[in-house]
Amino acid sequence: MNDPGNNEQIATQAKELFDDSVERIDAATLSRLNQGRHRALAELQRPGAVVRWGRWIPAAGVAAAAVVTVIVMRGPAGVDVTETPVTASDFEMLLEADGLEMFEDLEFYTLLDAVDTETNGNKG
Amino acid sequence: MSACTGVFAVSCSREQSTGAEALQRERQLNQFLSEVERRALRIAEIAVRNRDDALDLVQDAMIKLARNYAHRPNDEWAPLFYRILQNGVRDWHRRQKVRNRVMVWFGRGPSSEDDYDPAANAPDPAGRSPEVELQTQEAMQRLELSIAELPGRQREAFMLRTFEGLDVAATAAAMGCSDGSVKTHYSRAVHALRDKLGDHWQ
Repeated sequence: MNDPGNNEQIATQAKELFDDSVERIDAATLSRLNQGRHRALAELQRPGAVVRWGRWIPAAGVAAAAVVTVIVMRGPAGVDVTETPVTASDFEMLLEADGLEMFEDLEFYTLLDAVDTETNGNKG
Repeated sequence: MSACTGVFAVSCSREQSTGAEALQRERQLNQFLSEVERRALRIAEIAVRNRDDALDLVQDAMIKLARNYAHRPNDEWAPLFYRILQNGVRDWHRRQKVRNRVMVWFGRGPSSEDDYDPAANAPDPAGRSPEVELQTQEAMQRLELSIAELPGRQREAFMLRTFEGLDVAATAAAMGCSDGSVKTHYSRAVHALRDKLGDHWQ
């Protein structure tokens, strides 16, 4: 059952497939990797660099306040909140990294809601 | 006057020496990152099933390594780099869970990781026959899916040991656990993959 040869074979085949996929990464992706590497190497030249996303902190604060306001005014959207409690720490975590991206998504969904409502209203 | 010139010469010599060391360090780090970046990208991509996010994770790991650990001995770079990358992948999964919960709160379904289309990111055929190319792509897709379904620690252990070729000690350093845990996670990962892929790979 625990045939070491078989296990070895799985690992070997997996490695071959993986290496093949690495070798054939497209040029555009390689270019982006190259750019990323040079950005990293540039860090060696400026040891006291400011945290990259520091300039987004004020915007993130405003966005967080806006979201909290929306939640308080609107409440959960017809879902069982006991199953999906959203806490302040959740928003904090999102704001740490990709929060702004998500707020853009939410803005987009709000727009979709408005379009849906309009469409349904016209039908009715 | 001559004493002053002497001090200046010593100072210049020291600066030149420091500058040369810094340049050499930069070259070594550049070489290390060049060697590791493509495999790291594919490892991250298999873990998060999204090429753009994987690129961001690898770039962040490279920047953090350069910013915080460039002065460390070269042989420590690989485990350090992969530790940073694995932490990034874990954070990505945590954020994804929270993001989905928030989306559900707003009445939206959670975003699906299955939106990832491996075929869209498939490499060029590279002169192979269509049959061989198709078989290779299908095998890789099955492998990626099977690895993605593994528990996080098993996935990390398998990819670092098998794909990156780190030894047990370096994998343990990268994962922040003991050698014994690495062996256990790796062994379970291989067994799970054998169960999932066995029929296709016999």
